[in-house]
Amino acid sequence: MRALALLSTEGEGFDPPDARDFELPPVFSIGGFEVTKVMLLVAFSVILIGGFFYLAARRGSLVPGRLQFAGEGAYSFVRNQLGRDIIGSADFQKFVPFLFTLFFFILVNNVFGIVPFIQFPTMSHIGFPASLALLSFLIYNIVGIRRHGFVNYFKEAMFPPGVPKPVYVILSPIELMTILFTRPLTLAMRLFANMFAGHLLLLVFILGGEYMLHSGGFAAILSPFAFGFGVVLTFFELLVQVLQAYIFTLLSALYIAGALAEEH
Amino acid sequence: MVRVPMDQRPSSRPPAGPGDAYVIIAYLLSGMVFWGGAGWLLDRWLDTGFFTLIGLVIGAAASVYLVYVRYGRQ
Repeated sequence: MRALALLSTEGEGFDPPDARDFELPPVFSIGGFEVTKVMLLVAFSVILIGGFFYLAARRGSLVPGRLQFAGEGAYSFVRNQLGRDIIGSADFQKFVPFLFTLFFFILVNNVFGIVPFIQFPTMSHIGFPASLALLSFLIYNIVGIRRHGFVNYFKEAMFPPGVPKPVYVILSPIELMTILFTRPLTLAMRLFANMFAGHLLLLVFILGGEYMLHSGGFAAILSPFAFGFGVVLTFFELLVQVLQAYIFTLLSALYIAGALAEEH
Repeated sequence: MVRVPMDQRPSSRPPAGPGDAYVIIAYLLSGMVFWGGAGWLLDRWLDTGFFTLIGLVIGAAASVYLVYVRYGRQ
């Protein structure tokens, strides 16, 4: 990092990566509609996930092969850890498809960030996390309203029992704001910001290393350290990417569970 | 597909887990944004400068209390 700072004072300077690096030029356009790498990646992720689980589930044999084993393992992880354990065994089954799709869609799109030659996390474009958060938001609210009725759902959400009556004046707006505003906002922002910052971090180290290599002299000797750090951070990113996919799905499940089971 | 016994209804709330921390952060955020925002509006209306701070403190305190109500008492 120090070497980078030193470098920026000499020569034409290092152009640090910023938000502009996320605006990719269109790959091609169909009738004026520009298709970008990001759109292609999302489409590819759908094909990838669909294809994998189709192949894994095609021949459901009693003694699973390697592919079927992997598919079943992935499925039962989401089903049991995120579905049954969070939502409860009475209601979880109909939410498994949603949670399962959500988890693997986010996971694959996140991991695109470190796959060689792809190297772009689609979730670093706010539109994707935002629409997924909106979906989550709609599902947990609709499910809650259907279970408790419109008035009851909001009553149970806004008036936790065992609180002195005047205090509700302060607490109820907070509860309402949480279920209608803060939850979807934090869901989207958390995923977006993690992917955005992670990609930016990798860009800084890899592009910085490249710049140092080409600038010669002392900086060129140090550039392997920048690349080395880039590699270390790439593994760190993998951890963040998996974790964020897990957290997004976990919180969606928690919100659904909360909306379903607030009868006291 | 394994059939799961239907007798295990969830208690009033799912068990505490790693996700709870994030749920609690959402509460803290709403409290400060809502009451801080209310204080800010009051400041603009009355041309004062301290209601935003009071609102933020009240919001944060209320959120902590709300978290206690929802999660602390079992």
